[in-house]
This record gives sequence, C-alpha cells and structure tokens, in this order.
Amino acid sequence: MIPTIGHVAVLVGLALSAYAIVVFVLAGRSGDPRLTMSGRRAVIGSFVVAGIGCVAMIISLLTHDFSVLYVAENNATTTPPFISAISLWAALEGSILFWAFLATGWAALVLWRHRDRHRLLMPWVGTTLASVNLFFFAVMTWPGNPFVRTDPVALQGLGPNALLQNHPFMALHPPLLYLGYTGLAVPFAFGMAALVTRRLDEEWLRIVRRWTIVPWIFLTLGIVAGAWWSYEVLGWGGYWAWDPVENAALLPWLTATAFLHSAMVAERRGGLRIWTNALVIATFVLTLVGTFLTRSGIVASVHSFTQSAIGPWFLGGIVVAMVVSVTLLVWRLPELSGGGRPSSIVSRESAFLLNNVLFLAITFAVLFGTLLPLIVTVTSGDTISVGAPWYNAVTAPMFVALLFLMGVGPALPWGAASWTTMRQRFTVPLGAATLVAAAALLLGLRGAGPVGILALAVFVGVIMLDEVRRGAAARSRGRDEDPPTATWRLVTRNRRRYGGYAVHLGVLVMAVGVAVSSGLAVDRTVTLSPGESAEIGAYRITHDRLVVEPLPDDARVIETRAEVTYTGPQSGTLGTALRDYPNSPTSIATPAVRTSLGEDLYVTLLASDAASQAVSLHLFVNPLVVWIWIGGAIVGIAAVFAIWPERQARRVTADEPMRTAAPASVEGA
Amino acid sequence: MRALRWILVPLLVAPVAWLLFQGFGRDPREIASPLLGQPAPAWSLTTLDGETVSSAELAGRPYLVNFWASWCIPACVDEHPVLAAAHERHGDELTIVGVLYQDDPDDARGFLSRYGDAGYPHVIDPDGRLAIDFGVTGPPETFFVGADGMVRYRQFGPLSEPRMAELLPLVLPVAIR
Amino acid sequence: MVGLGLLVAVAGLVLVVTLSTGAAPSDARRTADLAAELRCPDCQGLSVADSPTTSAREIRRQIGELVAGGASDDEVRAHFVARYGEWIRLAPSGATPWLIPFGVLLTGLLALGAWLLRRPGGPPTTAPPTDAQRRAVRDEAEALDA
Repeated sequence: MIPTIGHVAVLVGLALSAYAIVVFVLAGRSGDPRLTMSGRRAVIGSFVVAGIGCVAMIISLLTHDFSVLYVAENNATTTPPFISAISLWAALEGSILFWAFLATGWAALVLWRHRDRHRLLMPWVGTTLASVNLFFFAVMTWPGNPFVRTDPVALQGLGPNALLQNHPFMALHPPLLYLGYTGLAVPFAFGMAALVTRRLDEEWLRIVRRWTIVPWIFLTLGIVAGAWWSYEVLGWGGYWAWDPVENAALLPWLTATAFLHSAMVAERRGGLRIWTNALVIATFVLTLVGTFLTRSGIVASVHSFTQSAIGPWFLGGIVVAMVVSVTLLVWRLPELSGGGRPSSIVSRESAFLLNNVLFLAITFAVLFGTLLPLIVTVTSGDTISVGAPWYNAVTAPMFVALLFLMGVGPALPWGAASWTTMRQRFTVPLGAATLVAAAALLLGLRGAGPVGILALAVFVGVIMLDEVRRGAAARSRGRDEDPPTATWRLVTRNRRRYGGYAVHLGVLVMAVGVAVSSGLAVDRTVTLSPGESAEIGAYRITHDRLVVEPLPDDARVIETRAEVTYTGPQSGTLGTALRDYPNSPTSIATPAVRTSLGEDLYVTLLASDAASQAVSLHLFVNPLVVWIWIGGAIVGIAAVFAIWPERQARRVTADEPMRTAAPASVEGA
Repeated sequence: MRALRWILVPLLVAPVAWLLFQGFGRDPREIASPLLGQPAPAWSLTTLDGETVSSAELAGRPYLVNFWASWCIPACVDEHPVLAAAHERHGDELTIVGVLYQDDPDDARGFLSRYGDAGYPHVIDPDGRLAIDFGVTGPPETFFVGADGMVRYRQFGPLSEPRMAELLPLVLPVAIR
Repeated sequence: MVGLGLLVAVAGLVLVVTLSTGAAPSDARRTADLAAELRCPDCQGLSVADSPTTSAREIRRQIGELVAGGASDDEVRAHFVARYGEWIRLAPSGATPWLIPFGVLLTGLLALGAWLLRRPGGPPTTAPPTDAQRRAVRDEAEALDA
C-alpha cells in the first residue's frame, strides 16, 4: 500500500513536471501571468508529491517492508530506526528520490518568492527547473524505480552498507551536499532565462549571485562534513584522498566560487557577461557530471554506486543540458560581448580575474586527473592511476597562489593602483609574515609547507585587519563614533564586504590546518599485548584488554574492540574497534579520535589475536586538524552573515550635526 | 564569420559525451596485466593438505592459477563449479592450482566442504607474496599459463562456462570442448 | 630603503632555512616515500603507506627489503610495475600529465594578460553610469554625511 502510494507519487510528479514545462513555455511566449501561475502551482505540486514519495520510502524502511527491493537491499529487521530513516539516501534509487525532493523544493521556493517580480524571466526559469525535475522523475519512473517490488518477499534484508552505519554524520553530509547540488540548478535556470529573454543586466547578476551563494554555503559545508566524516570513519588518518566522488563535489564548488568573485567585478564595471554566464552553466553541468561519474560506474570510487541502467540516462541528461545551454549561449554571443575590461593591470578587478583564472585552472586539473585514467584506457588500453601525489603536486601551487591573491586582492583599490599605495598596503603585512615565519622556525617548526602557509596566513590576516581598521578609522572620524562602535557599525552595515573577509578568514584557518596537519603528522604501527605501551609524539598508549561482543543496538554486528589508556597532552581511555557486519566480507574499522585544539590522537585497530589478546594498532598524532572543521564552520557562518539582509539605513534627523571631514581613503561599498 | 561560432556547440559537447560514453561496458577496476606474454612467476608453497607444490613441477604442461577466498561471495561461489568441471574434463592435460587470497585455511576448508572439493590442490599464500608477484588486486582472478610457462591470459573476475570454453584453447594443445 | 633591505634579508634567511634539505634521505625515509607513491592493490585509491591491508603491509615490507638491498628508487618502482603495470603508481609517469594542467594555467594567464593589455578601445569610461555605479556613489555620499 505505502510503496504503491510512493510510486504513484513519482508518476504524478512526472506528469506535473511535464505539464509545468508546457505551461511555462506558453507563458514565456505569450506573457500571460495566469499561465505562469499555473506552472508555479504544478511545480509546488511536484514538490509535495516528491515529499510524499520520500515519506513513503522512509515508512517502508522503518517498517522493514522487504517487499520493496530497495528496502530489502538496504535494511534489515535489526537496523536501528535512525539508520533506517536516513537509509533513504544510502543507495542509488533512494538518493535520486531524495534529490528530486530537494530539487523540486528549490524550484517551488524560487517560483514562489518571485511570483510578483521579473515577469519576463520567471516562465523560462520555471521551464528550466521543471525540465531538470522532469529528468529526475523520469529516471525514477523507468531505469531507477525506488519502489520496485520483489516476489517472493524475503524474511530478512541485507542491511545498510556497513560504512554508512558507523557514524551520525551519515545524517548530515548527504543532505548538505545535495542541498548544494540541487540548489545550483537555480542560477543555471536564471542563466537560461536571461539568455532566452536577453535580459542580462545588473539585475540578473544580483539575482543569480543571491541564488548561488545559498547553495554554495550548503555545498561548502557538505564538502567539509564529508571530509570530517571520512576522517572519523575510514581509519587511514586522512580526510581527502582525491577520490572521484570527492572531486565531483569540488568541481562545481570551484566554478561557483569563481562565479561569485567575477560577479563582483561584473556588478561594478559591467561586462563579463559571457564569462559569468558560462560559469553558471559550467557549475550546473559539473553537478550533473559529478553525479554521473559516481552513479554510472565508469570510474572506480569509494562511493561508487553499482553500475546500472541509470548511467546511460544520466549521460543523456548531461548531453541535453550541455547542448541546450551551449546553444543558447552561442546564439546570444554577439549581443553579450564587449565591455568590462579593467583599465589597469594592477587593480582589484585584475586580481579578481586572476583569481578566476586560477580557479578554472584548478577545475581543469581536477577534472583532467579524474578522467585521465578513462582517457588512457580508451585510447591505448593501458591502465594508469591518478592519485593524491599528482593532485597535491599540481593543485597545491595553484591554491597557494589563490591564498596569496586572497590577501592582495582586497588591499588593492578598484581602478588603478599606484606603487605608493601598494607599498603602503603591503609593507606591514609582509614584514609581519616574515617575522612570524622566522619566529616559527626559531621555535622549531619545520617544513616549507607549514611555515609557508603560516606566513601567508599572517600576510593575508594582517591585510584584512588593516582593511577593517582603516574603514573603522574613516567612519569614526567621519561620524564621531568611538572606534569600537565604528568598527561594529562598519562591519554590520557592509555585510557583503566584511562577511566576505570573514569567509576568507575561515579559509585561512582551514589552510593552516591542512598545511600543518599534513606536513607535521606523525604515525606508527605497533603491536601490543595487554599491559604493553607505546609512545607517539607526546603520548603514551597502553593496551588494556581486547573485548569481543555484539553491538548493543544491533545484535548482528560483532565488535572486536581494543580498550586503550592514553596519557599526554590529553589523557583518558578509548576503544578502537573492528566491526563485522553480516553483509560485508571485510571488517570495518572504527577508529577512535581524541580531539583537542592542538592536535588529534587517532588510533585505528588493524588486527587482533584472540588467543594472546594482542592488538596491532596504527597510531597517529595529527596536529591542528580540528581547525580545518572550525575553519569550515567559520566560512559557513561568515557567508550567512554576508548575505543576511541589513536593516534600512537610518534617515538623517535634524538633531544630528553634519560632519564635514572627508577622509582621503573612503572606499565604496 | 558570426555563423562560425556555432561550431562551438559540437566542439564542446561531442568530446565530453564521447569520452563518458566510452566508459560504459568497461569495469574501471580491471587493470591490464603486464604479465601477458611473460614467464609466469615461480613459487613453491604448501597446500591445505600440508604437501608442497611448486611451479617447477608444473612445467611442461599448461596450468591455471586461480586466486580465490572463502569470503569472496558470490563470485568465487559462482565460478567454483566451472573450475571443478574444467578439472574433471581436462585433468589429464591441464593442472589447476587454487591460491588462497588473504584467507584463513580453516575458512577455506569450510568453503570446500560446503561447495565441493574438485580434487586439485589449493596452496596457502602467507603474507600474499604470490598475489603480489602475479599482480592480483582482488579475488577471483585466474591466470592461464601455457605449457611453455608463459602467461597467455588473465581473467579478471569470475569464470563462467562460456568464458572458460573461450579461454581454454589458449593454453590447451587441442580444442576439446 | 634600509627597511626594505632588512626585509629582503630576513625573507631570504627564512626561505633558505625552510627549503634546506638535509643529507641524503635514510632508508626508512626512502621506504616511506616510495610507499606513498605506490597504490594499495585492494583499496580504493589509497597509497600503500596509508593502507592497513595485508597486501599493503607486504608491499611495504618488500620495498624495505629492496631498499636495504641497494635498489634505487627507480628499480623499486620497476619491480612493482612489472607485476601490476603502471596502475600501481599513484602518479602517472611521463611529463605530459604534469605539463597539461600547468599549460592550461599558462594559457589562461596569457589570455588574461592579452585581454588586459589590449589597446584601450573599451568603452567603460563613456558609458552611462550603471545602477551599480549609481549605488556606489550614493553609498559613498552617505558615508560622508551623517
């Protein structure tokens, strides 16, 4: 009964999306707002039925309804309710259902929010979004039906993938990521609408920027959450392996970030319309390509869903999206070109454009690395690997250049920069960076990576602080406010700019965390009998005992756990285990991580011997790892601050005296 | 001249589409073996029954080296009867040797008693040294070695009856079906 | 001038110290570095150095053995490539895979430079002020007044 409701819901969604497309196209051509309204209602309806579909699947999972194939493959009677519920997105068909729910949600939100505005654009925005939704409903109707039944009905299911049960982040990472992916269809839709209607003015840029940054925030948090999850779960002590699925999330993030920056130049100076539009299109196409790579089985990945009939459909979708968007862009090309060229090579505009070149170079490198094994196999039959060593060596210099630009860009004025200005702005930061680097070396910090990034972070950080100080000083003088008030008001009344600086601050924190944790981590493998100890870094690890028992909330899982005492900068006990899940041939490692602000103590159980109770442990001390996650959180919070609507400026009252001092270096907003 | 810009559409879309399309039908985890046409690695290992078998003993006759494990289900379960049948039919001119891949000998014996022991030897590969010498990435993988000791083929994944029928003529002197 | 000179001197010192490498790497160092270059055969993209599996452990042991026996880095790599093919190396060999992304970056930089340097035929100075420009002026004016 419930699964049938779910299936019918999907079919209704398919029909509503098809109807919406037709109605929106008619609305676009005729301008009749009633048609637009009808289309909007259809899209909202498709969101409702997608929701019904998700609820139906969740209920089927919670009630362990093994007549549904998806439930039989991803659930068992012993699966805890929380895990059952989040298994909605655990495997291929369910994840597409969840995706459709979020995509229709964004579409409904956009269409509803702009229901009284942009009458010319919205029908085409609706057409695009409804087409994307139609695609996902179609995939769920034909090759990837989540509500397919089985007969006869098994008495017990296979249970969820072992790796997905281990950590509560399974509830956080996919939804955040999917909200990012699905949300990026919205700027794309505005891009398509603008190309069709030829309305590519500043208004368009403003709308698209707003509708990009929200999914961007989700995508950023989703990527960071994914890195945190793999660090806590996979047991190899790292957080980023340049696996295709990780790259798939990074690619649209890179182009979206590039877009956000070039949009600032375009808003200020006009022009760059081809470039910004191309970036918006590329971002959306990359979300499809990324999803395709991990769902088609054509590249091997930790995250590969098994190869299925869905692959060719996704390829078809990508081709259609590319053909339509590139055709539209090429069609309007003659009307879009011209304008926007900065008048000076050294200026903030140029720094932003250089930033774009770097972001796109990194995007190319990551895409190239991901596809190269496939290219080589197809052209020569040989098999090669492209792994972390290549990606790190190629992208690290580009990221470092971006970090440097992150400092230099905001310090440069719009328009031309003189040598005097540059000397003024950069001398102190450079000096501070060099001093800090020298001090770090004296204190024993080694390695070009950690020291270099630290110096760079100081350089950029000092520039940002100086920017705030100068802005506050100008305001303080101009309005007779004391410095703290001036600073507060400056920051809260220019949220876009200072929120942006705070985002950069978060990025700096992350960069330092990454550089130090990868450059200065230590690890060793030891075998200990009960009572024996080993040392790593400043810690002493003592193996107490080996415990083998079933999990309290899922008796089918047997856990072999080494209980260990540790002393040092942190002290306490921990248990690191290997879990045997019935549906997995190999044991799943459950590392134990003890986090402090200075470093993480990370212990993985490699092997154990039941007879002697000896255990083989892989020990890590990873310095400053927690700052990567803190930095990610700063980026998220700062970005929300940056877009949080400001109160309207106060009206001048007759009682307040006018100030006449005009500071020499007032910058525009 | 302005019409020329339309070439951008197929130029941008076609290569991407073609490349991604080519990926279908291939298993991305299957790697080309450098051992093809090379002499098979030499080894001398202990079987589950405690006897010693070495590659030197197998010289002069074609043989199959089949890497498997008791935990490799369903693939190794599926190909087990295929190998048994091949041993049954061609045992006179063909030797089959099973190699345990990261497996416990007791678990392996359990597998054989459950799914049947065809009678050909299974050697234990402590530390996985032989698997490394053959470049094995995961069970099941089967190497077809000719009478001259050269590796003729590497089957990645389980063997099916049709596949076995296809591949045996590579090493057997006369194609007996 | 003195300030600038001092800055350059300190910066140079810092650079020299951070980049200075010690004597020839030890066997343990070489084994660890080579292990980071080779792929674990039954993992998904992990290096032999990072992987906990039996095969990774055995490969690390073999690397250590080869290095102790006097093999060069290239000989160690060749030993495993002979068994697994180029796939076992986590970074593709040959210069082309490395040159292509940097080539693309260079092309982008050149294109940007060429665009910036083009003789001023661009119209921005004579175009009527855009909404953004109007707003910027208004905000500046507000910032000056109470």
